Amino acid sequence: MTGPTLYVVLVAFGVVVGVTSGLLGVGGGTLIVPFLTLAVGFSQHSAEATSLLVILPTAVVGSLALRRRGVGDLGLALRFGVFGAIGSVVGALLALALPASTLRLVFAVFVLVVGLRLVRDGLRGERSDEVRS
Amino acid sequence: MRERLHSLELDPKLLAIGLGGGLLSGLLGVGGGIVMVPLLVLWAAYSQRDAHAISLGAIIPISIAGIATYGVAGEVRYGTALGLAAGSIVGARIGAGWLARIDERLLKIVFGLFLVGVAVLLGVRG
Repeated sequence: MTGPTLYVVLVAFGVVVGVTSGLLGVGGGTLIVPFLTLAVGFSQHSAEATSLLVILPTAVVGSLALRRRGVGDLGLALRFGVFGAIGSVVGALLALALPASTLRLVFAVFVLVVGLRLVRDGLRGERSDEVRS
Repeated sequence: MRERLHSLELDPKLLAIGLGGGLLSGLLGVGGGIVMVPLLVLWAAYSQRDAHAISLGAIIPISIAGIATYGVAGEVRYGTALGLAAGSIVGARIGAGWLARIDERLLKIVFGLFLVGVAVLLGVRG
C-alpha cells in the first residue's frame, strides 16, 4: 500500500480503533500494533511508539465525550491513571529482565478466562461482582 | 462501606489496580484497559459502564508516560500516526456515545468477546 490508498486505509482503520476505544475503554494498541506490523510492515518498536501517539488523542476525545454525558468520573480516572503510569514504567523496565513469551501465555489464559466469564454473566444477566465468601 | 466513587481520595483497590494494570501493560506491551476493566468490575465492584469510562480516562496519563519513555526513541512515524488519529478521534466520539447508552449486559458480552479475541491473538504471538 502506498500514497493515497494507504491514507484512506489508515483513516478507516483509525475509525474502527476509535469506536472500540470509546466503547470499551481500551487504548487501542491491541489493534494498532498488529495492524502496523502485519499489514503496513512496521517494526515492533516503530509500531508501538506510533500507536502511543494515536492512543493519547483518542483517549482524550473519548473521555471528554463521556464526561459530557456524565459517564464515569474523569478526575478520579486521571488520578487512578497516574498510578497506572508509574506501574507501566516499572513494567517496561522489568520486561527487559523477564521471559516475555511465558508471561504473555499466562496472561493470555487469564484474559481468556475473564472474557468467557463476562460473556457468561452477560448472557445470564447476573451481576458479575457477586461476593464469594 | 463508604461510597468513594466521587471522593477525593483513591480507594486502595483502585491504587492496586492502577499499579497492577500499568505494570502488566508495560511488561507485556498490551493495553492497560484490558487488565483494568475486568479488575474494576470483578474486584472493585464498579458498574460495567463506569469501569470502561474510568479505564479510558486512566489511559491518558498512562500513554503520556509511555510517550515519555518510548516516544523519544525516534521511531515514531508521524504521518501514519496522523492518519490513524484523524480516524480514531472521530470513532472515539461515536464509541463514547454508544458506551453512554448501551445495555450493560450487552456491553459485558461485547467486551468478553473482545477479550477472547485478544487472548487468541496473544496465544498466537506467544
